[in-house]
Amino acid sequence: MVITFITIFAIGIAAGVVGAILGLGGGIIIVPALTLGFGMSMRTAVAASTVCIIATSTGAAVAFLRDRLTNTRVAIWLEMGTSLGALTGALVAALVNQRVLFVLFGLLLAYSAYNMFRTRKEHTRPEVVPDAISSKLRLGGSYYDKALGRRVEYQVTRTLPGLIIMYFSGAAAGLLGIGAGIFKVPAMDQVMGMPFKASSATSNFMIGVTAASGAVVYFARGDVKPLVAGPVVLGVLLGAILGARLMMRMPASKIRLFFMPILAYTAIEMIYKGVKWW
Amino acid sequence: MVVAIEPEEKAEHPIELVLARLLRLGSLVAAALLAVGIALMVLGQTVLAPKLITAGLLVLLGTPVLRVTAAAVIFVKERDWHFALFSLVVLCAVAAGIYFGKGM
Repeated sequence: MVITFITIFAIGIAAGVVGAILGLGGGIIIVPALTLGFGMSMRTAVAASTVCIIATSTGAAVAFLRDRLTNTRVAIWLEMGTSLGALTGALVAALVNQRVLFVLFGLLLAYSAYNMFRTRKEHTRPEVVPDAISSKLRLGGSYYDKALGRRVEYQVTRTLPGLIIMYFSGAAAGLLGIGAGIFKVPAMDQVMGMPFKASSATSNFMIGVTAASGAVVYFARGDVKPLVAGPVVLGVLLGAILGARLMMRMPASKIRLFFMPILAYTAIEMIYKGVKWW
Repeated sequence: MVVAIEPEEKAEHPIELVLARLLRLGSLVAAALLAVGIALMVLGQTVLAPKLITAGLLVLLGTPVLRVTAAAVIFVKERDWHFALFSLVVLCAVAAGIYFGKGM
């Protein structure tokens, strides 16, 4: 039992580090590890993973907030989209064809992986001009980049398209049980013109809220097994605190380089899930 | 590690620091409960241990909801009505998600 605890704990640490650096929930590591590695049911694994999303978000956010990497105003604006989307997703889950959705969302992710790959060499992006909503709500921000050794000031644009994408990303999370951060980071980075590190930290901040309502439901159903979730969540908490510190010192281009293969992998996995014959 | 923060900057963004403090408290309490629970489990205390772990998980679960509530309160205090409304929308959606989710 001790060995199992330690292994699950170690998986948690790894997932927390990766999740904090990339702005993801870490489910991409935890769910396969628990189901394939320990033979646990999908329900137990997904329930544990949902609590882990909160752990990644909470653990990493402390450091990100202090360094102003998290844009709280953008986060609250976009959380309206994710939380309403997640609600819709959960409500209409029984009515829609999940296979079509898997393919659609998979293609969307593949496109954003391609887009990220195409623009990987562009270190200076064109000047972002804030749109009307962004100026009115003062969404622009600035943070001190420890890797660059200087303050980065930025503006936010395409505020409404960003909100709409967040709505669908929330719905995907509610319908398909994926997409805690994988849709959010590209939406902020590529659509709204935010710097990659601010996108990752803000995504990280937001995913905890969307996961909270799901986690409460799993708790009420008894799907959260304390002996599984306990060690993995503790690991994720510590891993996220460590990962946040690492991320702040990493150059954004390197973080993007880690993000792209995960994006591509998730895209392929989702398209495969959609087209395979059950 | 000492990070110097200019005082005027501190006053400019109080919300980040308040939320950071809240989240740090939440993760510390949760981590402590989980660690003690797991240690007791390993020592063979099978009655108390799962309860402590569950308590730790619940603290963690409450933290994001508390974080949105705290943000809403701060925005109301600052008379930033747009963002107070946005926070309220988020809170309602989370509450509705829990309500409908339980019924399914």
